[in-house]
Amino acid sequence: MGNLKSDSDILALLETDINKGFRVVVERYSTRLYWHIRRLVILHEDADDALQNTFVNAWRNISNFRSESSIYTWLYAIATNEALSLISKRTRNSAVSLDDLGSWFANSMEGSTWFDGDQAQLKLQNAILKLPEKQRIVFNMKYFENMTYEDMSIVLNTSVGALKASYHHAVKKIENLLTGI
Amino acid sequence: MKKNDKIPEGNPFKVPDNYFEEVNRKIISSTVEKEVRFKKYGLYLKLRPLIAAAASVALLLILSYAGIKLFSPGNKTLSLSSIPIEEYTEAILNEIDVLTLEENALLLEVSWEEPQTEKEDIIDYLLIENIDINEIQDQL
Repeated sequence: MGNLKSDSDILALLETDINKGFRVVVERYSTRLYWHIRRLVILHEDADDALQNTFVNAWRNISNFRSESSIYTWLYAIATNEALSLISKRTRNSAVSLDDLGSWFANSMEGSTWFDGDQAQLKLQNAILKLPEKQRIVFNMKYFENMTYEDMSIVLNTSVGALKASYHHAVKKIENLLTGI
Repeated sequence: MKKNDKIPEGNPFKVPDNYFEEVNRKIISSTVEKEVRFKKYGLYLKLRPLIAAAASVALLLILSYAGIKLFSPGNKTLSLSSIPIEEYTEAILNEIDVLTLEENALLLEVSWEEPQTEKEDIIDYLLIENIDINEIQDQL
């Protein structure tokens, strides 16, 4: 299993031994998907739930997976939807507007926020939270995860041009918020 | 790879120790391993009626064989038609305890006397049951 390098290797393994193939999928992508989800949902407990739901969902639909997209973009699409569902649930159930980290952490049932950033990091995360939802996703995927616009286009079902424009605007907004303009 | 000097680097979000090993284990348990467990249980469920039927047939055969062995003296095969009717009747009568039968009959205390019923009781009965007296008279 350690010698598998590409998506096509994993796909081949899924064809011959679906159980073994899926284990490889989990090992390869769980960490990356967790951080993608976590940056969106903020709270560790929510990211944990969404991550597990993502893979349960993927397992249920693995036989229907077609190679039109890569496993990577397919999983990212599922994970993004799970994260958005959780955000929607939190904002519906929250008495206050969730527009900064403090209000998100106040909604947590856990003893720890699992956040260890300095003031600069806190300011950045608060600035990102002020972006519209889809723009936040685009910013995170491009800035932190270095995803290509082509892959993002598949995950978000949005044109490359629209994504480039969205990212450009997101960066400008964050810069202005961080510099106090 | 960071492209912007104004945006700080680093990941301020943390996870509990060993989180990723734990969550991977949970995911496998609720996906791949759950399906394997379910398939084994499913096979058991499918075979259960067959196992039950086979066990019933085996028990029946054993009981039949045991019954035949018990009731056949030596190597002879016993059948009712081979026993003379007088011997058969005597055997049954010997098994019946006549004295016990008589005692049980007395305990029943069957009374053949007619019950004493008042005329008023009869009228009340007819009224309650909504029976027309003239109908009865016609039938008589």
